[in-house]
Parts: sequence; C-alpha cells; structure tokens
Amino acid sequence: MTVATANPPQHNSLLGTLGRDGLIQIILIANTFIMLAPIVIMVFSAFKTNPEIFQSPFSIPDFTHVDNFVRIWTETNFLRYLINSFVVTGGAMALVLTLGTMAAYAIARYEFFGASFILLFFLAGLTLPLKLAIIPLFMLMRDLGLLNNQFSLIFVYTAMGLPTTVFIMTGFIRSLPNELEDAARMDGASEARIMWAIMLPLVRPAMVIAGIQNVVPIWNDFFFPLVFIQNDNLKTLPQGLTTFMGEYSTDYGVLYSGLTLSALPIIIIYILLSRQFIAGMTAGAIK
Amino acid sequence: MAKLRMTGRGLWITTLVAPPLAFVALFIVYPIIAAFAYAFFDWQGLLRGEFVGFANFHQVLFVEPYASWTRNAFTHNIIVFFALMVLQNGLGFLLAYGLWRGLPGARFHRIAVFMPVVLSTIIVGYLWKLFYHPLFGPVNQVLRGIGLDQLAQPWLGQSSTALWALIIANAWHLVGFPTLVFLAGMQRIPTEILDAARMETESEWVKITQIVWPLVAPSATIVFVLLFVGAFNWFELPYIMAGLDGSPFGSTDVLGLYFYRTAFGNVSAGTQDFGLGSALAVLIFIFIAAVASVITVRLRAREIQV
Amino acid sequence: MTKTTIRIAAVLGAATIAAPALAQDLTFWSWRQEDRAQYEEFIAAFEEENPDITVTFESFEATNYNTILSTALAGGTGPDLMMVRAYGGLENVASAGYLMPLDEEKIPALAEFPDSALAAETMRSDETLYAVPFASQTMLVIYNQQIFDDLGIEEPETWEELLEISQTIEEAGMMPFANGTATAWQNETIVSALTSSIMGSGFYEDLDAGEADFTDERFIDALTHLEEISAYFPDGFIGLDYASAQQLFSSGMAAMFAGGSFEIATFRNLNPDLELGVFAAPGTSTDDEKLVGLFYDGGYAANASTDHPEAALKFLNYVASQEFGQAFADSLSNISPIPGVEFSDPLLQEVSELNQASIPYMMLVDFRYGEPSGSVLLQQEVQKLLAGETTPEAAGETITEGLSTWYEPFQD
Repeated sequence: MTVATANPPQHNSLLGTLGRDGLIQIILIANTFIMLAPIVIMVFSAFKTNPEIFQSPFSIPDFTHVDNFVRIWTETNFLRYLINSFVVTGGAMALVLTLGTMAAYAIARYEFFGASFILLFFLAGLTLPLKLAIIPLFMLMRDLGLLNNQFSLIFVYTAMGLPTTVFIMTGFIRSLPNELEDAARMDGASEARIMWAIMLPLVRPAMVIAGIQNVVPIWNDFFFPLVFIQNDNLKTLPQGLTTFMGEYSTDYGVLYSGLTLSALPIIIIYILLSRQFIAGMTAGAIK
Repeated sequence: MAKLRMTGRGLWITTLVAPPLAFVALFIVYPIIAAFAYAFFDWQGLLRGEFVGFANFHQVLFVEPYASWTRNAFTHNIIVFFALMVLQNGLGFLLAYGLWRGLPGARFHRIAVFMPVVLSTIIVGYLWKLFYHPLFGPVNQVLRGIGLDQLAQPWLGQSSTALWALIIANAWHLVGFPTLVFLAGMQRIPTEILDAARMETESEWVKITQIVWPLVAPSATIVFVLLFVGAFNWFELPYIMAGLDGSPFGSTDVLGLYFYRTAFGNVSAGTQDFGLGSALAVLIFIFIAAVASVITVRLRAREIQV
Repeated sequence: MTKTTIRIAAVLGAATIAAPALAQDLTFWSWRQEDRAQYEEFIAAFEEENPDITVTFESFEATNYNTILSTALAGGTGPDLMMVRAYGGLENVASAGYLMPLDEEKIPALAEFPDSALAAETMRSDETLYAVPFASQTMLVIYNQQIFDDLGIEEPETWEELLEISQTIEEAGMMPFANGTATAWQNETIVSALTSSIMGSGFYEDLDAGEADFTDERFIDALTHLEEISAYFPDGFIGLDYASAQQLFSSGMAAMFAGGSFEIATFRNLNPDLELGVFAAPGTSTDDEKLVGLFYDGGYAANASTDHPEAALKFLNYVASQEFGQAFADSLSNISPIPGVEFSDPLLQEVSELNQASIPYMMLVDFRYGEPSGSVLLQQEVQKLLAGETTPEAAGETITEGLSTWYEPFQD
C-alpha cells in the first residue's frame, strides 16, 4: 500500500539526455514556482497593511509587523474554531481507526459467513458521494437531536472514513503472518488478547496510512458543518474562516493573516511528514 | 480458531463487526436510500406531505425555469470535468513523467507540487478570490506591471472568464494529486520492460504512448473516476468564489450549488424545497454512478496486466 | 438616559398584563449577531422591571437563520421569542402555524403602527399579523460630504445633474460611485436606490393593481438609466464584490454609494471620521417626485406553543412601546417604525423624512412568494445588463416571464 520507491530509470547516454532533461528541469522549476508563489504571497501579505498590499504586493514585508495576526488572535473566535477542529477531527479519527481496525481485523483474520459480503458493504461506501444525501442526513441529525452539536460531524466523518480505512487495513492485516497468532492461541490466550497484544502493534504502519488518508479531508471539510452547525462557538476552522472573512472583508492584511494562520498547522505538519502524507493521501488511488 | 466455541466466536466477531457496520448503515446507507424516497414526496418546509410520484423529477427536468437551470448547471459541470481532465490530469501526467526521471531537486518538486493538495478548499477559494480582485488582486497587478493593462480584467465578474477562473484555481489546488498517483504508477513499471523499450526506440513520444501510458492505465482509471465524481460534486470552490447563486448571472452555477440552493434556500429565494432538492440529488447520483461505472469498465478493459 | 427610557418602557410593558408569580425563563433568537451587546441591554432593562421573567438572547448566522429557525420549530425545540423575517420570509414560518397570532387587543400599541409596517408582518393567506415590526430600511444614495464640499457640488435635483456631478468627481480623479455588482443581491439594491424616482409611484400602483408588468416602459426606462449611470461605477465593477465596494467608499476613494440605510452604521464603523450625507436619487425632471425604496426588515414574534404565553406577550408589548423604539433607534442607528420615535442623529432623521416619499423595495415586498423569486430574476438580469449581455427590454421580458410561472396577474 505504500508508494513504490523503485530506482529511477538509468540513463545510457548523458549527452543525449542533457537537452531533454534540461527542458524537463525548466518545466518542473516553473511549476514549483507556480505552486509556491500563491502561498508565499499569502504569507507575505499577512504581514502588510492595506496600502502596502495595494502598492507593493510582492515585496518582502517587515516580519516584525504582526498586528494582523494579533487582531485575528484577539478579536475573532479563531482560537475557538481551532480547538473545535481539533476536537472534531480527533474524535472522528479515534472512532474511525478503532472501528475500522475492528472490522478489518474480523474480516481479515476470521472466516465466517458473510465476511465477503460485509467487505463489499464497506466498499460500496467508498465512492458514494454522501453530500447528495445531505437532506436525509439533516433530518436524521434533527431526529437524533444532534443539530448544532459536534457529534453530528464526528459521526458523519466516522461513517465516511470507515470504508477506506477498512479497505486499507483489511489488505494489510491479511498480509500478516499467522505464526505469532497461532502460537499465542496454543498458549491459551483469548481472541481479544491476541488482537490487542499481538496483532495491533503490527498494524501501526497501516493505521498511519489510513489515518492520513482520512485526517486531511476531515480537517478541511466545510460542507457538513455548513449544514449541521450554526452556533458560532461550535464552528470548525474552515467554517469559522467564512465568518471572519465576512467580518474583516475590507481589511486585506487581516484576511491574508487569517488564511495564513488557518493554513499553517497543516502546511507545517505536511513539510515534516511529506512522505507519509503523500503515501496516505494517494493510498486509495494506488493499487 | 477451531478451539473457540461457536457462540463465543460468533459473539466476538459480532462485537468487532457490528459497531462499524452500524455507523455505515445509519449515516451512509440509510440517508442515501432515504434520499431516493424523499424525492417522491411533496414537502412543506421540513414536513413531509403527500406522495407525488415523479412530479418532482418532472419539474426539475421539464418545467421552466427549473429545466433551464438544470441544463445550465449540468453544462457547466461537463465543462469543468473536461477542462480539469486536461489542466489537472493531463498536466499531472506530464509533471509525473518529469519527476520520474529523478533529476536533481525532484524530491523538492514533489513536495511542492503536492503542498496545495493538503489545504482546505475554503482557504484556496478565498486566496484565489483575493488574487482575482479587479482592483487590488495580484493577478491584475502583475498584468499591469508588465504593461498588459488591457488584459487586466474583472475575472470573476465576467460570464466569459468566471468559470475558467474557478477551474484554474481548482487545477492549482489539486494538480499534485494525479501527479503523484501517476508517478507511483510509473515507478512500478518493471525495469526490464523499459530496457527493452530503450533498445527499440529513441523517441520519447513513442515510449510515452506505447509503453508508459498503457502501463499506468490502472492509475489513470482511478484518477479519471475520482475527477469525474469530484467535478459533479463541485461545491465548495464555487460557493466561496462565486456565491450560492453562481454569480455572475448563473455563469458559474453548477449542480452542487443548484442542489443546495433548491434544498436549503438562500437569502433571495422565496422558499426551500426538500422534494425538488431530493429529486436533483437522485438524478445527480444516478448519473454519477452510471458514468463512473462505464468509465471503470471501459478503461479497465484497456489496462495491460503486468 | 437610554437606560431610563428603557426602564419606563419595561414598566409600561409590564402594566398591560397582570404578572404571574412564578419565575419564567424565555429564550429569544435573533440573526443580529453584531447587535448582541445592545440586545442584552434592552433585555436587562426588561428583566429589571419584570423580575419574575428572564430572557436569554441567542444569535445565529443571518443567511441560514430561516433554516435554523424552521428546523427548530418543527422539531419542537424552538425559542419562546424570536426575530422573524418580513414578507415571503415570514410565510415559511408562519404558514406552518408556529407563531402566535397577534392583534391590537394583545398589543394595544400596534394601533399606532403604519399600515405598511404591519403588512410586512402579516401573512397574506390568512391576513393575520404574526410579529411586531422592528425596523425599516431605505434604499438611497449615501455620499461623502467632504468630497462634495471640496468639489463644490451639491445633491442633484435631476438625473442630468446626477450625471454632471458624477462627471465632476471622475475628472477630479476619484470614483463617483463605489458600487460593484459581483455580489448578486447588490444588483437589486442599486435598482431601487438609483431608479425608484424614474419608475415613479404610478408604476408601482399599476403593478400592484395587476395593470402593469415589468415590460412596462417606465421600468424599461429605469433600467436604461441604470445602464447609463453605471458608466460612473469603478473600472471592472462587474467583478467587484460587496465588501470591496464598501471599502472603496469608506476609505474615501469613491464619493457615492447606492445602497441601503443599513450601510450608514457600517461606514461609520469602518471609518469614524467619515462625514455622510444622503439623498434620494432624482427623476428626469425637477417635477418628478424624489422617491426612495422602502422595506421592513423583520419583526419580533412569539412561539405559538410557548410554555409562558403571558410572559412572551409582555415582552412583545415591551418591544412595541415607543420607549423601546427610541432606545432601539439611539443605540442601533436603525429606523424604528414605531410612531413618535425621534432621531437624535440628524442623518437618521433625514432618512426618516425621505421615507415619507417612497415606493416599496418591490421584489422583496411583493415577489418573493414563489420560485423563481423576483429578486433572483432581477439580480441576474441586472448583472447581465450591466455586463452588456442583455438589453433593458429583454431583461424586463425575462423577469415578467419568469414571474408568470407563479404570479397570477402576469399569467394572461
């Protein structure tokens, strides 16, 4: 399930490939510039005042000018939104990984009637666009009394995350050897104990992949909070962003610093863990 | 396994499987089935009224003004899909090919191309909305700066450019995804096949079309299907950049916005209508499922088993 | 000063209905998140005079308020007291029977309210009043007094003069109007703010009587004039969103803003040094009556199934009192429809005087009772018109045709 890291193709003639590789290198550098420039402009502008943004949009700012960030931090509910995002994402991830591993473990390690049907059931949820079922979900949440309650988000994200998690984990758990498990069973260990003490430590790498696969879309989701959450104190970061982008709509420095602050946590984690991020986020699409 | 008593084993498996199944059943399967049922009823606000058969479907497909709204939004989704097919998947394939050569700095380029992918669509939408600002946006400032004043335009305000402005923002956001999926596909091409190909031809074009492309076909199938589903679920980016009405005058309206507006209403619309909204959802759903399966089957047939 | 008047109002409110002995907790929902502090003050004054009643204020995002409210009411978890929208926006909530019907017997002060205010909170199907209206909004032109003084220009008396002063401002290197049309609903406000006098009250009367539709030449003429004046909007205004337009005006880069009286508070907030003036956009000649566009924002309503109907009514009597209206106008800078309210702010006083000659903000007032709503149609067609993609005649025809799918007077 990880990205294959085969060696790049060997070049037989250095001379012959130089021109071609030069062109490729230029394309790649240009593309990287286009990818990074908007992010850099965003961060630079976050340190500028309105007149500075209008007059010299691309200049390097005075990085000690942090007024915009202070205003976001003190005048808006930013911190609250950030905490909410952590609570919702954390809650959903804990449930997704726990429940996903349970189901995958059962499907992968035991033969029982209906196992393949259950796997299919989960896989069916893999590509269904749940957004289109928002009306019944909305009514369901109302009936459960979960509107304006973060559990509505946690539950929906859990259900959305389960198919991919079960898919990734089942494949991985199946590939684990039987010996350890059989030996423990001979020693009379209970099934629960075998799962907890012997198998779970082995599945951690797959949990990281499945975790990253789900954590990014959950952290970034905007659609479900838009429908389920109205109380300002319960909003998650992307939704909260729309609130303070509205309030400060005329103060571009503050807007850019709001965007920068919202983007920063995930960009930093991404830079630190880029290999795992790329592997995790493309895991569903690579056979 | 065999030593377990059947009841104990059954109980244990049920304990493992039932809670996750319950989540999927309650929050995915039930709502989707219910969405189909809702579409056949008349709704008064949140109260379900009478069974009306196919009336809601008839209305969104054939009764004006809904029919032309539906057509308009659907056409835009199609444009978005094909444009992104070129700008996002096509470019992604080329970039992957470049990265695959493992030139100096490839690791850095790889991290850079994927960086926007981890950002929330909301952040990307606001960022590009600020960039396209007619007076103060960097896009027009660059154009004016290099003397191309006449090219500086209200990108999001003109029906001729608004949808394309959104498509470009989307391609910037997500091009890293197909790039790295294709790259992973290329990296799994066995070295022997490449060596053999190198004996046969020097032409890069022949190698790409005859060897590389067919061998990354499995990646392509998945990337195409995901783009298709994504293009027909487009919501967040137009919502942030163009507003719920698909401004200007519906030239960025897509099915996602139209569905949300119909179901939940907006400030300027008279009413919210769950019946019509559900009918739209069902139609979009059936369309996505049908086309996605056709794409999968057709493309799978072409894949070369390595 | 404000405190005392609120207190007097609270006493009056309390006096109308005998107070029961038990403590009663009421919840009060609003979409005015930005007015929380002021509302808490109003409520504190009410509670002081009614120690047996407590009111809890909760506010929600304005754009989704209707959905939230109807959801809660349908689920039986609605508030005891609430702000409701006017016109078509009231219909959704009122038609399901969630609101307590009101009349002059329950709230005597209503007898003095203007009819147009009460009509805004009356459901058309059963002709019953469901809420106490709280504010009117006026569509007009707001201008930067400083710029006008510097350039030696005055409020225009005719359309020709409006074009002339715009030209003067442009030649002085400033933007005449700050307006942009990228935000859909702004297209509706500029029509009302700039062309109400061109349409004339005769057009509205005929429209109301079912004798005219939007292909009427008076309406076409209005759109033609709008097209003409849009030459003085900023470069690229079709891509300019609402917030940027506000910014252009409040920063002094533009001299005029065609929009609602609700902008006054926003502009003062953005730039406290701004000196503002208002005028009604003129007609073609000095003989034409200068008209503003007028509508009511919403009202205060009570839940039909509240556990504490007497307490809720007591609160509604409080918000219908002149003293509350005064406090409301003073602290929220809004035009209260309650008769006898005086505006210490000369600008608000001027707006309330302009209101004497008005026609309704018509798409909201009359054409939001079906799909497609008149507002959506007008917004789209004006956006198209100003982008040069349609003509006034074609726009009028599309609007009329669109409305005829549900608006009976247009169906023949």
